[in-house]
Amino acid sequence: MDILRGKKRSSSIFRVVEYFLTFLVIISLNFALPRMMPGEPFLHYSGEVDELVAFYSKEQIQYYHEYYGLDRPLHEQYFSYLKDLAEGDLGFSYYYKENVRTIILRRLPWTMFLVISAMGLSIIAGIILGSYSAWHRGKWQDSVLYTALVVFSEIPAFLVGLALLIWLGAGLGLFPLAGAATHFANYDSIWDKIADMLHHAALPVLTLTLSRTGGIYLLVRNSLGTVLAKDYMLTARAKGLKELRIRYVYALRNALMPLCTRIAIQLGALIGGAILAENVFSYPGIGVLMRSAVVVRDYPLIQGIFLVLAVGVMVANMLADLAYKYIDPRTRPAVIGSREMEEF
Amino acid sequence: MLKKIAVVTAAVVLMFVFALSGCGTAIEGDRVDETARSGGKQQEQQEKSAEPVVLRLEGGDWGFPQPYTRYSRGPGNARVNYIFDKLIEKDEKGFIPWLAQSWEISEEGKKYIFNLVENAKWHDGEPFTAEDVVFTFSYLKKYPPVSPVEAFMDDTFLLEVKALSNYQVEFNFAAADPNLFENLSSVYILPQHIWSEVDRPDEFTAEEAVIGTGSYTLTDYNKEHGTYRYEAFRDFWGLEPAVDVLEFIPVSDPVLALEKGDIHCASIPVDALSRFENDPKYTIIQRPGFWGYRLRFNMEKVPVFKVKEVRQAFAYAIDRQDLVDKTARGAAVAGSLGVLPPDHRWFNPNLPKYERDIERAKILLKEAGLEGQNLQFELLVGEDTEVRIGEVIKEHLSDIGIEIKVVSTEMKTRDSRIAEGNYQLVLVGHGGWARDPNYLGERFTGGDRGDWSDGTPGYFNVQVEELAGRLRSEIDEAVRKEITMELQQVLAEDVPEISLYLTTGYDVFRNDIHDGWMHVFDHHMMEHNILSFLIR
Repeated sequence: MDILRGKKRSSSIFRVVEYFLTFLVIISLNFALPRMMPGEPFLHYSGEVDELVAFYSKEQIQYYHEYYGLDRPLHEQYFSYLKDLAEGDLGFSYYYKENVRTIILRRLPWTMFLVISAMGLSIIAGIILGSYSAWHRGKWQDSVLYTALVVFSEIPAFLVGLALLIWLGAGLGLFPLAGAATHFANYDSIWDKIADMLHHAALPVLTLTLSRTGGIYLLVRNSLGTVLAKDYMLTARAKGLKELRIRYVYALRNALMPLCTRIAIQLGALIGGAILAENVFSYPGIGVLMRSAVVVRDYPLIQGIFLVLAVGVMVANMLADLAYKYIDPRTRPAVIGSREMEEF
Repeated sequence: MLKKIAVVTAAVVLMFVFALSGCGTAIEGDRVDETARSGGKQQEQQEKSAEPVVLRLEGGDWGFPQPYTRYSRGPGNARVNYIFDKLIEKDEKGFIPWLAQSWEISEEGKKYIFNLVENAKWHDGEPFTAEDVVFTFSYLKKYPPVSPVEAFMDDTFLLEVKALSNYQVEFNFAAADPNLFENLSSVYILPQHIWSEVDRPDEFTAEEAVIGTGSYTLTDYNKEHGTYRYEAFRDFWGLEPAVDVLEFIPVSDPVLALEKGDIHCASIPVDALSRFENDPKYTIIQRPGFWGYRLRFNMEKVPVFKVKEVRQAFAYAIDRQDLVDKTARGAAVAGSLGVLPPDHRWFNPNLPKYERDIERAKILLKEAGLEGQNLQFELLVGEDTEVRIGEVIKEHLSDIGIEIKVVSTEMKTRDSRIAEGNYQLVLVGHGGWARDPNYLGERFTGGDRGDWSDGTPGYFNVQVEELAGRLRSEIDEAVRKEITMELQQVLAEDVPEISLYLTTGYDVFRNDIHDGWMHVFDHHMMEHNILSFLIR
């Protein structure tokens, strides 16, 4: 028992050390990568068509380097970055002229709102459609669904977004064309405000959902197909279990295991999709911010955003791990004794 | 399982919705009648002249609108311009008196006495005085704003600014500066009673940071949504505001937003103009060509570019009108080889045109002793349109046996390579072509300044040096115009770079909402000028 417990403890410590090292690598890369990109944060010369920029001379660029500490040796900058980070200070944005933490905190909820809504909806739609297809494998319903969803998942998110914008937004006038809320409006109640926000979020969420459902649908359809052919399905039927129980408790639960991993992996891609949706609908969020932070070489902001995203993906992986354990009893440690189980 | 996912998702989403619905805005002001907002009602309300005019334009976040926190790219400066005044403004023809109502010049342009407007008030009710001007010029020496004016930060040039009375201020310079008015029209006057205590102006976003003397006050700004809301300042000292409320809101597609009435003025692509042409409530205006693309030679890295005939051959081989048609869909004007754009107030129309002439170009290459030689150059370009421009240039030059390799990099990388002089040929686009012709000197004289952003590595021409030098110190406008005409002649002959084209896109506006739009003499965007929003 003691040996087993010791082993478990050392494996937990190893896990913590592993996460810590990963984190350290991430923040070091976060520091190094923006600085390795060619381009000078304070040199604004050319612009996009009709864009105006504030041009700085060599002396002025030097002034800003001193002002923001970019003239100091790299290792000094690195250690001061680590120190600030330990204090929860993500730095001051050169371009946005604000604390990076404030900038991110103000925008992150909007992206999370889009991403989580779209992910939830696409999982639900993917599971429903995927299982429907799997039950009707080989029939016309399956072929129609399969073709339609494969086609949808192959269309880039921004094209789907534009089509929805032109059709549902401009054409039918059902949804607002841009933004996340009616601006400068006075609401009668918080419910009006929420309704307005959901109305604005509808098209971007729909865009992301449409572009994500295909992948989940295919996974569920295939996974369920494999499960349906298993012997234990036959056993279940032979036991005389009800069809609904067989479908949802025996088959679907087993078929959903790969989905957990898939969701964690998809999170990164979904944030990529969110950037496009935010761009198409002028929706406030971290995606548009990330793009412009890179374009203007705003080092502290790039560092901050990538840190948040990296931590987000790490947390998603951990959650997927935990969820997998919850759904699939086989991944739990062997039952040694009741205390062991309690600890788990 | 499914139910659980649905419940968890719904709970998380609701949590976000509640959190987001609590997101506030930076500055809240009194609301003007909210019903004025719906597009359909606007017209009715216009007719009842007592109702406020609410003008909505395309938004986007360009920074908190004070001179130190607006962003260095994009129209942030215009957002500041509605709130803060300058000593000098601009109209269609040139510089006009603003906070400085009149002036006396003495000591050959080294001393200026400005008589200031006497009824101006800050938005908080405090009177504006000469002390505010003195304070502003000492403050910007200490803290350079986002758009700094180097001349005013130089102690050896701007020797002294002093108040002679409450409404009279004296400037003493080490030398006469022909660009003085242009420079003065870039400095926003700050209230001393607020800013004297501020030592981190780039972090100053309190409500009083947007107190100016300007014709509009900021009542709402939201960074993440990119919205701004301004109201006319009723105690404004000058012209009466033509718009009561000015709102900037996020827009996904300007064409759809204008059609739907979400906004009242927008830049519209040529292809979509027909949708507005036959509707009397829309007016279409073409922009002057003050934003352009240049093809620059690095004569230091590629000595063959030092040969005038080679550069001329490039000019004859590249069909600029073809570039306009193919890459700007006709919404541009071909550049002049004298560099100053055709819409510039001092443009010289009597210059060699360099219409496409392959034979002439080949002869010039022959004269340069390059006939039959393998001529290969690398052309550095940015992204998107610039790649297309690069490809068309490549095609044009292949006709005279010059092989071009188009290398596309991202904008910032390209800018850095320009500053380092690390290119053979480079294509670059930017604004500011209508500024004072002094910029010709910045482009083509001065040798190595350790920064080639605006200069031409390896280029030297005695005549250009001499004319640009005179232009830098001459303050008589008529003489300066003459010098500029001559300088364009020399440049058109010598071709130190090729001005490819200047964009002249279209703006479409709802004339039933607001009809006062105008372009100032040196800028291509109507909404950036305060005069567009005042009754003249």
